[in-house]
Amino acid sequence: MSLIYRLKQSQPNFTHGIQDYLGEIIPFSRRIKHPLLKVPMVALKSLEWAIYRWHKTSIRRFYGIKSNELIYMITNACNDKCPKCGIWERPEPKEQHLRIQHFIKCLKRLHHNLYQVTLTGGEPLLFKRDVMLIAEEAKLLNVPMVTVTNGRMLDEAFLARYKELGHILVISIDSVSREKWNEFRGTKSFDIVMPKIMLAKEILGDQLRVQSVLSRESAEEIPKVIAWCKEHGIQHNTQLYQDFGAKNWANLVTHKQMVDDGTPCAARKNICIYPNGDVVKCFDHRRIPLAKQPLGNIGEQDIIEILCTKRSTEVSKIMKTCNFPCKAMSCNKPQVLLFK
Amino acid sequence: MNCLIIPCYIRTDWDLACLHRLLDSIDAQSLKLERVYVVDDASPLKYDLKDRNVEHVILEKNGGPARARNVAITKALAAGYRHLLFTDHDCILDKEWAERMTTFLDGSDFAAVGGMTYSWGKTLLDRYHDINGTLAGKWLLPDRKELWYMPSLNFGMKAFAAEEFPFDERFPTAAGEDVDLCLRLRSKYRIGFCPEAKLSHDYGYKNSITGFRRFLRLFQKYKSSSATLYEGHTVLMWDSSESIYEGNLR
Repeated sequence: MSLIYRLKQSQPNFTHGIQDYLGEIIPFSRRIKHPLLKVPMVALKSLEWAIYRWHKTSIRRFYGIKSNELIYMITNACNDKCPKCGIWERPEPKEQHLRIQHFIKCLKRLHHNLYQVTLTGGEPLLFKRDVMLIAEEAKLLNVPMVTVTNGRMLDEAFLARYKELGHILVISIDSVSREKWNEFRGTKSFDIVMPKIMLAKEILGDQLRVQSVLSRESAEEIPKVIAWCKEHGIQHNTQLYQDFGAKNWANLVTHKQMVDDGTPCAARKNICIYPNGDVVKCFDHRRIPLAKQPLGNIGEQDIIEILCTKRSTEVSKIMKTCNFPCKAMSCNKPQVLLFK
Repeated sequence: MNCLIIPCYIRTDWDLACLHRLLDSIDAQSLKLERVYVVDDASPLKYDLKDRNVEHVILEKNGGPARARNVAITKALAAGYRHLLFTDHDCILDKEWAERMTTFLDGSDFAAVGGMTYSWGKTLLDRYHDINGTLAGKWLLPDRKELWYMPSLNFGMKAFAAEEFPFDERFPTAAGEDVDLCLRLRSKYRIGFCPEAKLSHDYGYKNSITGFRRFLRLFQKYKSSSATLYEGHTVLMWDSSESIYEGNLR
């Protein structure tokens, strides 16, 4: 995906600082009962606030608390043409595709902090060799892995090794009827993929999951998918439709319903990598002006160096109160809420 | 039944005087502490505590307060103590502190407890810490019925919680290791607050002018751990919290 970044818009805004300052000072000043103490105490609090905001520590350490998810959009390219998704329309040029060694290095650097590495796309299995390299490395590093695929390129050898490695495979299915399937995929892939799903179930057992996208177009089909999964003993998750640039499908639930679900967005836990190696904290980062530009590129910089920048911390702070409809995406939900 | 763990790194005569002052306050407790572990983290100043009723553990290599506390936790668990209390060498315990902490742990289903911390000194900077609640723990909002975290200078854990959640020894200094522990602990258990368990902490400010540099260094030290904690505990850090002071004790 080609990103258009505007550097000026991405700089920390003066108003962020004022809001942060007042948010600290006002509640504190209410605590001071003695009028003569107001000024010196607020001055000291301002100093404390300034230290937390601007004092640069010599090193910021990552201590291995497994609370982060590393999500790699390994490619934009796809062998389906789903109308719900516009990502496949913009495959990255070959020369922009990140070398797998850079991602492996990133995974090694972060593995103490990861509860999961997730591969998505596009269609990840277009880079099956790279997927398997990551899967092997993740196993060595004791990081669980999830691959989200359309299932077209699955084969017995891949599934058998994937099973041995103990990772999770998620197949995206929005219908179990041939006609609707082919319409939703934009290709006649039903008869290719269905046998492969059954093969995956046979080999992977409980390591196989199914995920569906709920929209107006798929609303009648999703209950049938859920029933089919139940019949075959496969764990299922429904994700609300999000616009990835295709604008061909429509949300079934309103914007308000999506943001008023009572759960906070968990996107701050994410470290997301684009096919070209750009790092963001959420694939929907363009909703936040400060986060429009990527935080860095793992092909050029060390990931921990990238995550320790001031802007990375600022973006994390802003995301603490994010309440956009994209929080309904699987990647932005706490793991406990998925695949119930 | 209960024991007290004190990690210490004695660099100056002032540190040593603080330690003796703390041990005096321990001797005056209304409820006797069955065992007091003083874990010396390879201090540069040599001293002995032979005339004190404590188990003085001297570590050969400096490893930080988290490691020092874990050494004592291992000993305490092996000895079968049910309640493990923690404080620092620059604190002074109220005479009912141990009794209040132990009674609270005995009578509640909280796995851990924090008490109320006051400044020992009387400078403007000490006053600031009292109003700010710098070392007084944080309420978990909105209910204010349990703690978001409690600094380890006024802290207690039931044995099973200490066994399951030791301090993370990768924290090299006395900054952030207690926040990290509380955030991990809270993934499974709750931390209660016992305002009657009071202690005072000596920040070491001789006066507001000369203590100013020390004041700045304190927050610089805390800042050094905040980014790590922030990245490491993003999910748990969603919870809103409020530092405790005299005006919101209950």
